Amino acid sequence: MSVGLPQMLTLSAMLFGIGLYGALSRKNAVHVMMSLELMANAVNINLVAFSRFVTPEVMTGQFFAVFSMVVSAAEIGLGLALVIAIYRRKRSVELDAVQELRG
Amino acid sequence: MSMDYVLLVPLLPALAFAVLTPMPRTVRLKLVPLAVGAVFGSLVLSIAAFLAVWPGGQQLEPAWHGVVTIAHIGDRAISLGLALEPMSAVMLLVVTIVGAAVQVYSLGYMHREERIGWYYAALSLFTAAMLVLVLSNDFLGLFMAWEVMGLCSYLLIGFWHEQEAPRLASIKAFLTTKVGDLGFMLALAVIYAEVGVFDFATVLGHDWSAGTATFVALLMLFGAMGKSAQFPLHTWLPDAMAGPTPASALIHAATMVAAGVFLIVRAFPIFEASGIALTVTLWVGLGTALLSGLLAMVQHDIKKVLAYSTISQLGFMFIALGAGSPTVALYHLVTHAYFKSLLFLGAGVIIHAAHTQDMRQMGGLARKLPVTSLTFAAGSLALAGVVPFSGFWSKDEILAVLLHEQQYAAFAIALAAAFVTAFYVARLWFRVFTAPTQQAELHEGHRSMVAPMVVLAAITAVIGFFGPTLGGFLGHGIPWPAFGTAAVSTFAAAAGIMLGWYVYGRRKSVVNTQVIKQRFPHAYGVLVNKYYFDLTYGYFIVGGYTALARGLASLDANVVDGIVNGAARTWRSLAALGWAFDRRVIDGVVNGSASAVRAAGARMRTLQTGSVRGYQTLVAGAVVLFVIWILVKGA
Repeated sequence: MSVGLPQMLTLSAMLFGIGLYGALSRKNAVHVMMSLELMANAVNINLVAFSRFVTPEVMTGQFFAVFSMVVSAAEIGLGLALVIAIYRRKRSVELDAVQELRG
Repeated sequence: MSMDYVLLVPLLPALAFAVLTPMPRTVRLKLVPLAVGAVFGSLVLSIAAFLAVWPGGQQLEPAWHGVVTIAHIGDRAISLGLALEPMSAVMLLVVTIVGAAVQVYSLGYMHREERIGWYYAALSLFTAAMLVLVLSNDFLGLFMAWEVMGLCSYLLIGFWHEQEAPRLASIKAFLTTKVGDLGFMLALAVIYAEVGVFDFATVLGHDWSAGTATFVALLMLFGAMGKSAQFPLHTWLPDAMAGPTPASALIHAATMVAAGVFLIVRAFPIFEASGIALTVTLWVGLGTALLSGLLAMVQHDIKKVLAYSTISQLGFMFIALGAGSPTVALYHLVTHAYFKSLLFLGAGVIIHAAHTQDMRQMGGLARKLPVTSLTFAAGSLALAGVVPFSGFWSKDEILAVLLHEQQYAAFAIALAAAFVTAFYVARLWFRVFTAPTQQAELHEGHRSMVAPMVVLAAITAVIGFFGPTLGGFLGHGIPWPAFGTAAVSTFAAAAGIMLGWYVYGRRKSVVNTQVIKQRFPHAYGVLVNKYYFDLTYGYFIVGGYTALARGLASLDANVVDGIVNGAARTWRSLAALGWAFDRRVIDGVVNGSASAVRAAGARMRTLQTGSVRGYQTLVAGAVVLFVIWILVKGA
């Protein structure tokens, strides 16, 4: 069985689904961010797959994927900094503990 | 030699007034010597002016005159002029001598007054106005000075304005003389229409028709009656005694009240041209002289006796004028000015000593106040007409003129008035000086008060001998009294004094007024009520005026105030309507939108749960729905 576009998209969809589930179900902020990374990487797989199988002569998707990874790295850095700040205030990284913006 | 210093005679007191008036009270107090100095300066200059005019006689040209044009009406120039001639020279001496005496006297009499500075300012203004009046060479200037004197009279009568009586008296004096002034003013208007200018030479030289002359003369007579307090415009003068006594001496005895006589003397050719006016003047004088003399008999207030006596003596001057002899009227004016101011100053000392003006509470002052009693006796004898005191000579001339004019009825009335005069003088003197002493503490007046009285008494004693000299100076003969009239008038005076002594001086006890009241109830009632003049005026004029004022006040309160208040009420209800609109509609819109927004906000805020996972779910759900929508619709 050769690896083609449908397999790649299936992998990406599974990864995205796992990420979405994790993001919605986890209470721990670190877990939520890990899940978000999963979803981002699912997107990256999509980009690379479409680039590889639809337009193999140009590398647009790959470059996008690299950019996206850099942005994710920065985002995670920022996110972890926020988590540390919240932990300092709340002594917890549970998302339910942060409800100051409740209307 | 330039005679322009005559201008300084009225100017010095006027300057004193101008300096004193704007000063604060404490500074004025220190400037009082300035006013006294000013009047003495005027006195010296007046003597100089008098000597410059000497020996007088009938001069065609005045010794000095100055004219200034104050206005042009059309092609006519209105000018004011002063002129020095024998008559004004004599009057200058009278005014400055009496004025100086009164000012010195007031230093003692008024020294306890805080407002003495203002008193002296008003006195100075008065003196200046009177000097302008006698120097004036035209009717307009005379009238202006006349009005200023009226103002000063008002101010000085009301000097103690914190009390009610002086305040009312000052208003009464001002308004009553104003009624007379209206006559004078109308006379001026007629003169202007008839002649076109006001100066004496032109007006008096005008060819007056009998009718116009009568009209002008009667109007002037009315003005003079107001100023000189002749019946029936006399009621203000007795009330004017509420003012300070020295001011009464100067204004209401010697000078201002004589201004009416002086006016008629000035305007005499017009009166002569009329003839009727002379007769009216004569009878006004006769009535006033006798009737007010009778009133003086029943007064208990020493100043009121003197006030009625002044009215009576002014009546004598009117008699002289009516009989056709202005020179004799002026003669009596001069002698009266000296002896009546002397009497008033004496009355001031008596009032200071006895602390009352009621003669019933006086008595026995002769021993306690020796100088005053002597000077007062000189004044009283002059008033009663006893030789050789001044009043005898001038009153005798008046009687002689009446006989000469063959006015026998008038002569009899004047003689009766002279008798009455002697009687009330005797009543006053015996009651005050010889009746039993009623008070222990009595003191002679201060030097500054006694000295002027001595001077005036000396003048009163000797001036009568200068009658013919004065006549020559004025250019009209004043003869020595004929033996016949002198004997008759002396008899009348002696009889009056004897009767006065019989009733008031003989017994060693104060006469009880009740005895006289019971013996002559009706006559006494009429006299005590002053012939009901005050009551009549009070009822008809003051009462009518008050009723009118009340009517107008109620009109004001009901109609005018009603309109004003109604307008205000309308505006208020309009404003209330506007307020209600504002509150209900405008505020309703504003508050309504605000509360709508708030309610919407309250609903919306529940969306903000603050739960991160909730938001995530929402976002995910939305994405799912979005994807589904794209799938269903097709890209």
